[in-house]
Amino acid sequence: MRLGEAGPEMSPEARLARGGGWRGWLGRKGWAGVVIIACFALMAFFAHEFVPYSPTATFPAWQPPSAVHWLGTDDYGQDIFSQVVYGSRASLVVGGLAGLLSGVIGTAVGLVAGYLRGLWSEVLMRFVDLMLVIPALALMIIIGAFLPSVGQGAQILIIGALSWLWMARSIRSQVMSERERGYVAAARVVGLSDGEIMVREILPNVMPIVIANLVMVITAAILVQASLNFLGIGNPSTVSWGSMLSLAFTDDAILQGAWWWVVPPGLCIALFAYGFVLLGNDVLDRYARKREG
Amino acid sequence: MRYSARYLAKRLGFALLTLYLAATADFLLPRLMGGNPAQALASSTGLASPATVAAITKEFGLSNPNWGYQYGLYLWQLVHGNLGISYEYYPSPVSTILLRALPYTVALVLSATVISFAVGWSLGIIGAWRRGAWVDQLGVGVAFWLYAVPYFWLAMMLVFLFAFLLGWFPMGHALPSSITGLTPWQWVAGAVRHGILPVTSLVLTSTAGHLLLMRNNMLTVLADDYMQLARAKGLKPFSLMFRYAARSAMLPSFTGLMLSLGNVVGGAVVTEIVFSYPGIGLATYNAILSHDYPMIQGAFLMLAVAVVAANLLADLIYPLLDPRVTLH
Repeated sequence: MRLGEAGPEMSPEARLARGGGWRGWLGRKGWAGVVIIACFALMAFFAHEFVPYSPTATFPAWQPPSAVHWLGTDDYGQDIFSQVVYGSRASLVVGGLAGLLSGVIGTAVGLVAGYLRGLWSEVLMRFVDLMLVIPALALMIIIGAFLPSVGQGAQILIIGALSWLWMARSIRSQVMSERERGYVAAARVVGLSDGEIMVREILPNVMPIVIANLVMVITAAILVQASLNFLGIGNPSTVSWGSMLSLAFTDDAILQGAWWWVVPPGLCIALFAYGFVLLGNDVLDRYARKREG
Repeated sequence: MRYSARYLAKRLGFALLTLYLAATADFLLPRLMGGNPAQALASSTGLASPATVAAITKEFGLSNPNWGYQYGLYLWQLVHGNLGISYEYYPSPVSTILLRALPYTVALVLSATVISFAVGWSLGIIGAWRRGAWVDQLGVGVAFWLYAVPYFWLAMMLVFLFAFLLGWFPMGHALPSSITGLTPWQWVAGAVRHGILPVTSLVLTSTAGHLLLMRNNMLTVLADDYMQLARAKGLKPFSLMFRYAARSAMLPSFTGLMLSLGNVVGGAVVTEIVFSYPGIGLATYNAILSHDYPMIQGAFLMLAVAVVAANLLADLIYPLLDPRVTLH
């Protein structure tokens, strides 16, 4: 047994959860979030299996929804249902990977700045505060505008590198209260190094906060990626929900009354992101309740 | 005098440092990404003779390849309000074009912030007060849903419903197409009519954060001992709710409000595009489409200045709300 899990630090609820199987991990809302995310993930993985047409095949333009084209066609005559299904891949890949990248940076900065005291951690947090004031989307826009081309890899790097600031602050404040607890002092007495204490003792204890923040960062990454694609900062030939809406906007889908082109991609973004919001809030709620006792 | 000199110096220094950071990023980015702006400009104006390139290189202060020299020149020009010359609207200075656009963005962000603040805080206070009641559940439920909705899509849906289908509001732009011969009253009415949809879209997406933060802070305050005392004293629920609980819950919410400003500005950039609203966001979008790099840089800097200034203002207001702040 690791020190971090020693008896008195573990609440009855956590013990119950461990014995209670998968039902104990999350509440109803959390599971609803997981189901939503899983549905979209399945859609992305098996897009080629059940999509009726290639997302770039062309048919008569501006068709309203019908039995042939479930969600109609756009102004190039591309099948919108197929595009929506394929578009889930971009959101999943970019949102997920950018969120993970942000999560790793945010967790590392939060752990170090919260656990170590001294000039460097102070400087680090002041830097985070400065960056928080600068509008992140605007910064991403100028970075994207100056890159010769922005593919999915560049989007992941840009979003990932600029979305961890809130997370670092949140984890830092949690780590600061955690480092005053008994088990950290015990670990120090046993002679563990700072690195070992941070990673093997504190990290498991703040894991719910890390997960909740990670989920929120992924939510933000999904929305930011859609915004960047909408602004034309992305690869226009990759089908994504954001680039679909960008095209719908520039090609006057609204003036044509083509609601079938505007509504589905936006609803998908919102629903996918909502799945993460549900999951994140559930994790956070359970953690707070556990801490209150 | 409620401000201590130390507090003022700290906040002012922080604001200046942020601006410096933003300006430096603005300077470094195009240089790190490569490309020669003078050549880009020369080819975009169709006058790509070597002589033109040389002339423009000189004009943009790029003749000395030393970055240190360019950096010094750049900062010197910035301090004097010189943001460079637009490629697209050559030879108009970027600052002239952006200053013309700035009032629109400020009006949009300011009214959206004030309204979403008022709505979010009221709903947050009521929700916390009647925790678990239908008002609370509805408010929190809708707030979480709105968290997940992309700004620009919500804006597009508003245009589709209220401008295209119902025709209640104009589809875009900030003012009626012919403003000559309008009385001042008609002018204001036109501006308001054009502003309602963009402001609504921003309010809808930014209220959620205020509501949830205020509700959380209220719940913390309501559990405090002095609330118990106030209740025991037999105070009326109304004064208990507003004069006791909401007043203390507002302080941390106020900081949250200011930190959310960057997000609202980001949202405004996208919203303006959907509504063809002639602010900084639309200027940025057009600049991206036409590769007008000085304009993109200038727009970013102007947004940064606006947000930093608003934060500084909030820092100066904060001690008036909470006397404890100036103590350290």
